[in-house]
Amino acid sequence: MIQHFPVLAVMLLFLGAFCVEIFGSKNEGIRNTITMLAATIALVLIYALIKPVMIDGEIISYWMGNWAPVSGYAIGIGYEIDALSLFFALLVVTTFWLSGVYSLSYMANDHHLGHYYTLYLMLSGSVLGLVMTGDVFNMFVMVEIMTFASVALTAFRNENEGTLEAGFKYLVIGSMGSSFTLTGIALIYGQCHTLNMAQISAQLSCGGLTPTTVMALALIVAGFGVKSYIVPFHTPAADAYMVAPTSISMIFSGMVNKAGVYGMIRVLYIIFRVMDQSNVQMLIVLFGAVTMFIGVTMALTQHEFKRLLAFHSISQIGYVITAIGLGSALGLTSGLFHAMNHTLFKGLLFLTAGAVLYATGTTNLDKLGGLSKRMPKTTICFLIGAFSISGLPPFNGFVSKWLVYQATYTKAVESGNFVYAIVTVVALVVSVMTLASFIKVTQAVFFGQLPAELKKTKEVPAAMLVPMYIMSALCVLCGIFYPIVNKYLLYPATNAALNVTNYIDKMMGDGYAAGLGVSNIEVAPAAFSFWNPIVWLILFVVIFIAAFIVITGSKSSRGQLLQPGVKYDPKYATFFSGEEELFSQVGGSDLFWGFKTDWKGYYRVLEGLHSGIVTDYAVFTVIATAIITLCMFIFMR
Amino acid sequence: MIIVNYIASIVLIVLGLYTVCTKKNLIKVVLGLGIVDYGVNLLIVSLGFNDGGTAPIYQMSDLLNGVAPHFFVDPVPQALTLTSIVIGACVDAMALSLVIMIYRKYKSINADDVRRLHG
Amino acid sequence: MLILKSLFYILIFPGALFTSCFGLFLAGVDRKVVARMQHRIGPPLRQPMYDFFKLLGKETIIPHAANKLAFLAAPVIGFVSLALIMLFIPVGGFTAFSGNADMIVILYLITIPGVALIVGGSSSGSPYAGIGISREMVTMMAYELPFVLVLLAVARKAGGSELAFSMEKVAMWQAENGNMLFQWSMIPAAIAMLLVVPAEVGTQPFDVAEAETEICEGPLIEYSGGALGMFKLNTAMKMFVMSGLFVSLFLGGIRTGSVLCDIIIFIVLCVVVTIICMSTTHAVTARLKIEHLFKFYWTFVAGMALCSLILVWCGL
Repeated sequence: MIQHFPVLAVMLLFLGAFCVEIFGSKNEGIRNTITMLAATIALVLIYALIKPVMIDGEIISYWMGNWAPVSGYAIGIGYEIDALSLFFALLVVTTFWLSGVYSLSYMANDHHLGHYYTLYLMLSGSVLGLVMTGDVFNMFVMVEIMTFASVALTAFRNENEGTLEAGFKYLVIGSMGSSFTLTGIALIYGQCHTLNMAQISAQLSCGGLTPTTVMALALIVAGFGVKSYIVPFHTPAADAYMVAPTSISMIFSGMVNKAGVYGMIRVLYIIFRVMDQSNVQMLIVLFGAVTMFIGVTMALTQHEFKRLLAFHSISQIGYVITAIGLGSALGLTSGLFHAMNHTLFKGLLFLTAGAVLYATGTTNLDKLGGLSKRMPKTTICFLIGAFSISGLPPFNGFVSKWLVYQATYTKAVESGNFVYAIVTVVALVVSVMTLASFIKVTQAVFFGQLPAELKKTKEVPAAMLVPMYIMSALCVLCGIFYPIVNKYLLYPATNAALNVTNYIDKMMGDGYAAGLGVSNIEVAPAAFSFWNPIVWLILFVVIFIAAFIVITGSKSSRGQLLQPGVKYDPKYATFFSGEEELFSQVGGSDLFWGFKTDWKGYYRVLEGLHSGIVTDYAVFTVIATAIITLCMFIFMR
Repeated sequence: MIIVNYIASIVLIVLGLYTVCTKKNLIKVVLGLGIVDYGVNLLIVSLGFNDGGTAPIYQMSDLLNGVAPHFFVDPVPQALTLTSIVIGACVDAMALSLVIMIYRKYKSINADDVRRLHG
Repeated sequence: MLILKSLFYILIFPGALFTSCFGLFLAGVDRKVVARMQHRIGPPLRQPMYDFFKLLGKETIIPHAANKLAFLAAPVIGFVSLALIMLFIPVGGFTAFSGNADMIVILYLITIPGVALIVGGSSSGSPYAGIGISREMVTMMAYELPFVLVLLAVARKAGGSELAFSMEKVAMWQAENGNMLFQWSMIPAAIAMLLVVPAEVGTQPFDVAEAETEICEGPLIEYSGGALGMFKLNTAMKMFVMSGLFVSLFLGGIRTGSVLCDIIIFIVLCVVVTIICMSTTHAVTARLKIEHLFKFYWTFVAGMALCSLILVWCGL
């Protein structure tokens, strides 16, 4: 029974997409019912797999049309759900379900919502299929559906500035990436004569790498690099995240680029199993380090809330790629944990950005300000997200970033390679820069003074607040109960990525892997020995008590405004000392000029590179693919 | 000669990438993407081709009993190509429709003019 | 029992009470020394303590434009995190909580008081505070790079072939091999750390964020009463925490055998470090501009720390 769940979940989402288009394009009630029904059932079906896969350690396999392997050759399309797949599938279902709930009120004022929900369900279904499939060509098809749905959704509000342009750039770069992937898949097929991941893995690991497979590996890595937006493939991401409807931006950063990360892990760790080579590790880690640095420095100069978040998405994916590039169990654990946390806090931040857009109609950092008095609940959610992404304890970002530093520096010490030490330093500095750019958003959007035209702003409706609350709660809980997360999610997933034998045997029949000489690597669970959870709890109690005493018990009174005809006590004068209050907000672009003047030359180069011209971006893509291919050919053994 | 197919497919892919990277006209960029696709399709079809092989239409029992000749064209790449062609057609349709809308909005299809999002 | 013990650590020693008392004492020493250097008599040593209690008794006025919750909670959060950092720093061989990797925890906890100051200042809505928080943040970015490099260098030196982000391991290493400061490869790192300490605390010449002659105390401008007192206390505690961190990183090798003597030596060393890196620089320098500050930290100070890291990496 349980082996039907994954394929049912994917099919339901696709079926839902068709039903919405056929029955729901006119009627709002039917449309929303079908959408939420499909999304919720998919959510339940995937969550039901936690017990068998994560806790009992089973691997679920499913052959489409019951085309099981014949005499050691996999012919049909297989779905195979190990803990790694399920880990990403859980992220995917959580993200799209919350996004769906949020869409119900966020998108309510748009037109053509039938198309919106169709594309939304297609996107969800394709990413879910991508992370659960066991067949490389099926993976490619899912990648393509994902790209199309993403492009269409990016350009969905096509009357808005820049949406078409962003969609077009996304399409060009995205389909270049897909073509690379397809070429790689074709080459593997030429070499192994099978499309099943498990069988490819078994055959490659006994045959060793030939030039053809190295080429295939390079192309597939480049293809998934495009999907996960590592620098220099990141350029369309910044545009697309910015102009897409916010519920979709959340899906993009929460699951679409995680699909790329998943593809990387699957290809590098399971299909090709090349992560024990130090040169490959170095290549991936360097790409990750460059990604996180360029992402965060670009984010520091942005004037648009959502574009800033987009660059942060790129930067955080850099952490993930760095961590998984280390090739160690600790690195993989930290990378997976950070991917999960990124889904949570970046989703939360996009939702708050959407709430600001919904309530005020703009996300320009220079036009906003002082919203904390009008939208207190959104502000609290935003602060939780901002502190999480900046890695302040006790939020979840802290734990996963701590693990990333630990993993990179351990790697540096073990391999004696100074480059990894520099990567650790970069990771730590990027973290404080992340904090800086979120301070900028805090000051420019939520604190500071309220512009006159925003005086009537109201808090967003409850249907938008509930997803934000859920995300905030998850951010805090994952930060405190990380041992549980580690035990039930991260450790099984890491184990699954490093132990290929079970994966191959489940698909191809027992003993298949051993017959070809594939062996397992023993993995110990990552140790979180830096802090005792009980200390966290005590700390919370202390902070709450202290803050409560101060806020309720302190003798405080409100400052006043100078008003004509009212007797005025100068003691209560606020910052203009008795003068009439003027509007004087320190806007987002004005912050950090001291930093920006020191980095003038750097920013001139970087802004020149992000020219907005699609052919330039295509050139970056081709060059980066060429670099990856060259490195693989030169350094691979 | 199957080697000619491989060379031709690589040439097509490179030409397509060259077109995407150097031509500023958005329609030409879309054409470039199409050419890359055709190159990849040619590569896949060639992978399954066996010189002198027959069409792969048999039953499993024929194969196992040795009734059928063992030398035939691999059918899987043909199925893949079919899928890939359909996807390629979708790419073209979608990209061209975007170009039309971009032209309506920007009054230009030169890539240098379509850069309102940058930096 | 564990809870009671943890509570004792957090609230009394070496947490909140101990840190705030000695922080205020250090602030008094600092003021006195600066005054003597400027040929003034200066206030009594207990003056910061009097100021703090006086401010606690005053009325707190929340500006009209401010967000009350953030405005009042910010100083408290800064205070709690500062009290907490002290639990991870070995006070003369005594550490309340140890673990494998408390350096990173310290690094992050030490940013929280700064973030609290920024959030508090930002929530007051004042434009002066807006400029102040931007400068505070840039200062934070400036000293973070050398700080990270120093910590990595020390961790590598103390850890040897195995990794140790652990302060306790640093203390143990120093107990065996003598003070970190007397390893010649660590001298550049120590100098860099001496320059990081005043920037973190925000004393002249690195007090750009609170420049009272330009932007009227920056983030603190709208604060009054208890909340202001809390922030003043935070600054004093930061002084103690940072000088304590320096002492335990570089001068932790002095052991007498008795814990009490060790603690007293620790405190004396803290006073010495405060006088060297905060009072003296305060008395002899003028305030830097923010862009100069950033450049100074990312070139000279970071260069020194990197030099140390490379030397350590080469096995020296």
